[in-house]
This record gives sequence, C-alpha cells and structure tokens, in this order.
Amino acid sequence: MEHLRYLLLLAGCVAVTLPLELSGSRVYRRPGRLARAVLPVAAVFAAWDVVAIAAGVWHYNPRYMTGIGLPLSLPLEEALFFLVIPVCAVLTFETVRRLSPVRDRSDVR
Amino acid sequence: MTGLGYTLPAVASVATVVALELGLLRTGLFRRRTYWITMVIVFGFQVAVDGWLTRLSAPVVIYDPRHLSGLRVPFDIPVEDFLFGFALVTATLLAWQRTAEAQ
Repeated sequence: MEHLRYLLLLAGCVAVTLPLELSGSRVYRRPGRLARAVLPVAAVFAAWDVVAIAAGVWHYNPRYMTGIGLPLSLPLEEALFFLVIPVCAVLTFETVRRLSPVRDRSDVR
Repeated sequence: MTGLGYTLPAVASVATVVALELGLLRTGLFRRRTYWITMVIVFGFQVAVDGWLTRLSAPVVIYDPRHLSGLRVPFDIPVEDFLFGFALVTATLLAWQRTAEAQ
C-alpha cells in the first residue's frame, strides 16, 4: 500500500470534490472547455517539473510512488497532479460562483 | 542555499501569471470575489495535501535544501510551494475564464 500513497492522495482529492459536480457545478460535464483550460497550463507546469527533476531541485521518494514513469522522468503521479489539482480548483470556483448570493458583475457562464 | 532552483522560478511564476492577466488577458478575475474565496479554500486544502506530501518524517517529495529559501511553514511545507500553487491554480482559472468568453 505504501507505493500507492501519492496516487491515493490524488484519488482522495477527486473523491472529496466529486460532490461539487454531482450537486450541480458543471465542470466534468463540459469536458471540451475543461480540457482547453487545464491542459495548456498542465503542460507548462509539467515542463517545469521535468526541468526541476533533471536539475536535482527535487525528487520523489520511491517508497511512496508506483514507480510508473512517463517520458522525461516524469512520474505518473506528478502528471496526474497537474490534472487533478486544477480540476479541483475549477470545481471549487464554479461552486463558489453558483452558491454566491450576489452575482459577480463580471460573471460569465 | 542559493534559492535559484526553486525560490526564483516560484516568484517568477507568480509575477508571470499576474502580468499575463493585467497586461494581456484582462479577464477581470482579480476583481472577482468568487476568485478570492476560491483561493482561500484552495489554500486550506493545500496545507492539508501539501503538508502530507512534504512532511520531513515521511516525505513523498524531497527537496534539495540548497534550492530553497529554507522557510518551511506551516508543518514542513516549503513556502515556495504556495507560490507554485497560486500560479498553477490562478493560471488554470484564467484559462477557464478565457474559454468561457470564447463560447
């Protein structure tokens, strides 16, 4: 189980934010828009990650990782991190917007 | 401690995202209450998740101390992580706003 620690943490993030979608925040249900928002940013931050790993700025504890690697020494969990965390943030944003009693003036759907 | 490897790019990432919004995108995100409430909530969850990832007793992510400012708070979270998180989340929400306008 130790090797799944990082992966399970990400799964937990998905699970905790899933009720936001189910209760009416339309994020997963707009997959095209979500992909256009998340993927370009994820690519930039994944590139930063790759450079930092190559330069020895940080590395990952093999004890808590699946060991599944993507090209350029990017661990699977890190690639997923750059998808999961931004999606959680968008879900939070959409839910706060939806529940706000007063509409933002610059509100957009 | 040179700070070059993480501290410098972390500060630069925040500056870049803010400059991108103010100078180019102009979505108005920083004037929205929804954005700031979101960031407070995200910050709370980052402390929990990142605290777990970076705790020195059983770290998932191991940093070379030469590339950090050395300030690790709260728990063992390098402060640079909060700049990284701010830039990642803000850039995503900016892109989310832009895709809304494009529709």
